[in-house]
Amino acid sequence: MLKYTVRRFFEMLLTIFVIATATFFLLAAVPGDPLSDRADRLPESIRENLYRKYGLDKPVLERYVITMKGMLHGDFGESVRMPGYDIQKLLQETLAPSARLGLQTIVVGVGVGLLLGILAAMFKGTWLDYIIVFFSVLMISVPTLIFGLLLQKYVAGEMGLFPIIGWPSGEELWFGGWAYTVLPTLSGCFSYIATYSRLLKTSMLDVINQDYVLAARAKGLSEPQIVRRHILRNSFIPIITVLPMSIAFALTGSFFIEKIYAIPGFGRYFIESVQSRDLSIILGQTVLMSIVYVAVVFLVDILYTLIDPRIRVGGKA
Amino acid sequence: MEQAADNRFVIIGCADADKEAIARPTITYAQDAWRRLRKNPIAMASIVVLVLMVVLVIFGPLLCGWEYDYMQPTLKNLPPSAEHWFGTDMLGRDIFARVCVGGRVSLLIALVCTCVQVVVGCAYGGIMAYFGGWVDNIMMRVIEVMMSIPYLLVVIIVMMVLDNSVPSLLVALCVTSWCNTARAMRGVILQLKSSEYVMAAQSLGAPARRVILKHLIPNTIGILILNTATSIPNYIFQESTLGFLGIGLQPPNTSLGVMISLGQAAMEFYPLQLIFPAAALVLIVLAFNLLGDGLRDALDPKLRK
Amino acid sequence: MGEKLLQVQDLRVSYHTYAGEVQSVRGVSFAVEKGETLAIVGESGCGKSVTAKSIMGLIQDPGEIKPGSRILYEGRDILKMKKREWRAYRGEQCAMIFQDALTSLDPTMRVGKQIAETLRVHGRAGKAEAAEKAVELLRRVGIPNPERRAQEFPHQFSGGMRQRAMIATALACDPKLLIADEPTTALDVTIQAQIIDLMKQLQRELGAAIVLITHDLGVVAGIAKHICVMYSGKIVERGTSAELFYHPRHPYTWALLKAVPRLDLKNKQELATIEGTPPDLLSPPAGCPFCTRCRYCMPVCKEEMPPDTDFGGGHQAACWLHDPRAPKVDAPFVVRKEAGGI
Repeated sequence: MLKYTVRRFFEMLLTIFVIATATFFLLAAVPGDPLSDRADRLPESIRENLYRKYGLDKPVLERYVITMKGMLHGDFGESVRMPGYDIQKLLQETLAPSARLGLQTIVVGVGVGLLLGILAAMFKGTWLDYIIVFFSVLMISVPTLIFGLLLQKYVAGEMGLFPIIGWPSGEELWFGGWAYTVLPTLSGCFSYIATYSRLLKTSMLDVINQDYVLAARAKGLSEPQIVRRHILRNSFIPIITVLPMSIAFALTGSFFIEKIYAIPGFGRYFIESVQSRDLSIILGQTVLMSIVYVAVVFLVDILYTLIDPRIRVGGKA
Repeated sequence: MEQAADNRFVIIGCADADKEAIARPTITYAQDAWRRLRKNPIAMASIVVLVLMVVLVIFGPLLCGWEYDYMQPTLKNLPPSAEHWFGTDMLGRDIFARVCVGGRVSLLIALVCTCVQVVVGCAYGGIMAYFGGWVDNIMMRVIEVMMSIPYLLVVIIVMMVLDNSVPSLLVALCVTSWCNTARAMRGVILQLKSSEYVMAAQSLGAPARRVILKHLIPNTIGILILNTATSIPNYIFQESTLGFLGIGLQPPNTSLGVMISLGQAAMEFYPLQLIFPAAALVLIVLAFNLLGDGLRDALDPKLRK
Repeated sequence: MGEKLLQVQDLRVSYHTYAGEVQSVRGVSFAVEKGETLAIVGESGCGKSVTAKSIMGLIQDPGEIKPGSRILYEGRDILKMKKREWRAYRGEQCAMIFQDALTSLDPTMRVGKQIAETLRVHGRAGKAEAAEKAVELLRRVGIPNPERRAQEFPHQFSGGMRQRAMIATALACDPKLLIADEPTTALDVTIQAQIIDLMKQLQRELGAAIVLITHDLGVVAGIAKHICVMYSGKIVERGTSAELFYHPRHPYTWALLKAVPRLDLKNKQELATIEGTPPDLLSPPAGCPFCTRCRYCMPVCKEEMPPDTDFGGGHQAACWLHDPRAPKVDAPFVVRKEAGGI
């Protein structure tokens, strides 16, 4: 197990390195550079200084070596778009809003989704099941984007129930300012509700047909006891393997919701950086996100062996 | 009377003909799945909706009589009327014609990306699983890297490097699309690979190509169909995302995403300009999702009785 | 003696599928006396498992127990019981041993806990006491090192051990009736014998009645007092074990006996098989269901279901060959000298 963990760790490092390299050259392949809009109108000498400041005067390969060396020390370089900003500072400011939004979305979305999934599976074939199925299909058929826009327009704009844009800051960064968070959370959680209710329902229906459920019934367990002790336990296995991925995804920001509701989060800055070709920030954010993803995939692997006893011993499935 | 009764008590043994007559006609997997799909009213309705959509996006602009990029500066932001069924936008263009043309892009994306996903995904996954060892290892790493780079970044960069035309949009959406399929195929094929019938084919000296084409692909078709059914809505969503961020198609080209983005700007006063393209998008995606559900139920061998 | 514990009367079970109604069990009646073992023998799909599930009340949605069927347990019709009464009956009065212990044990729950579960839900023991009793039960069914084994998961057990654990689960509440649905089918031959021996021993000790369901006549020989031979949803022959092995009366029983591998035959005689497949229960034949595969088939067999012919001592067979009008046919092979000598 230790050997496996160590090997996986080095593989992770390699993957992150490859991702950083690929991102760097992808960005280098884009015609033009982040300064061209701004610098074209400036006098020659100032322009050269500006290019030198960001190291853009050097050939690509040399820049690559410099960037990689910097990366080792966690230095991705200064933002071109927002002078004075580097990735650490950006992270400090944007991670909290994104993380709060992500956590709220996950808690509400996954919680409601699982509840609906259990109901749909237990009342399979009744009107309750059909309603849940109908809404979950509808929820995954409407893009988050459109949910966000419509909720903003009607619930915030027309009815005036919640603020149209904005996000709590300062002391209310983590707790408080709930009114601002309701609509963004709501817009984001629909897709999770749909995904998780469907996933759990499928998984439960699969488990319900297993022999050990019949055996539990033959032992004299009541239906609620069977669901609680045997069905849920086993049907959560696929859920738990997907959940960390969802959490990683949510924590690193939901691009559209942050953009629609003007939330100063990680995702919104990512889009803006990409649009303005802010090389150092893009690279920094990409590497950060890939670290999170790769780490989560690793975590899921470990987690899986802990939950499912069949895999725990020597990989005998 | 006595005689007749005796005739009935003569041993005749079992006749072969009777054995045959008892057996029910066997139904192939595809026939069975199709029969089950046909019995599913929701899935059939989705097919009808999709067919109607295809007809509409092709012939819609002809029906209403407007060109999607014809501007009438005097007729801006009109509400729906007999003349302009869905009204006009801020440049006086007919929204119905534009929704049709936008829908055309969405359906084209669904078609092309699916084809690329299936062909590349199968080939890649098949090669990975078939050869195994270091080939598999390296190819798997490539997928891992591609899937770890934020998809949005890849798509945006491709759109930047190329131009903002429909073909480059297709390329951008297809770049990483096949990764999931390739992984799924690899998994299924690895399972099948250890099965006895493939071993039998191999021991008979069938070449690699033949084993993949004749044995593995037919057995993985169900998973493939499901995989594509779930990814089609994703493609359509992704296009609308790009349009919304302003990195998708550029005028005069249009798509539902571009229209949703324009609609957002006009949302304050003319919400219908957002709602029509959004509704068209939701309808297409809903139909694909419901069809996908129907296919999943129809193809699930566990439901086969 | 002779007190009836379980009586099944005219049991009919159908499954509703897209193709129509599959009549899995078509009027089966039998009785089990206290402490005795009854075996139900037949090939796959003959309805024996469905019969077992009916006794446990485990027939579910697409399946339906037809009105008119009666299952009396200690004189009470269990088909009319309420949900709560069912729960008290299952596991406590009547327990079931399933065919495949690997899939019948919850993979995510420790074996000891699964055994203790039966005791807990019937309020027989507290948590600690139930855990102790579970270890005791594991020891009783012959699992070495039961304290450690109780803490393990099913996949860590071997096939035979899993089946022993399954039996321990069933025995937890000392049920009066044990239903064993193909308990040995998934096991190696040597393990099969061990499991059968274990069941015999436990029956002696506990005095429970057993309904043993199997397709293997060899398994039945040493343990069952009465045997019912089922074919295509009906009991075609019944009788004591000795009667059935010495004087089988139905051509299907003949065929089954011939299909049992035997060591006492001289040459390397090929093992007999029964040609063809059982009839489709979607549209069961009007006549004898075995007629399409029977070497002694007569025209009447295809037209009318044969009545039961009584041979005394509870031995009955449903075959037209025993009609006075039919030609006399001898059993087509030498019946072995000793019952149970397989």
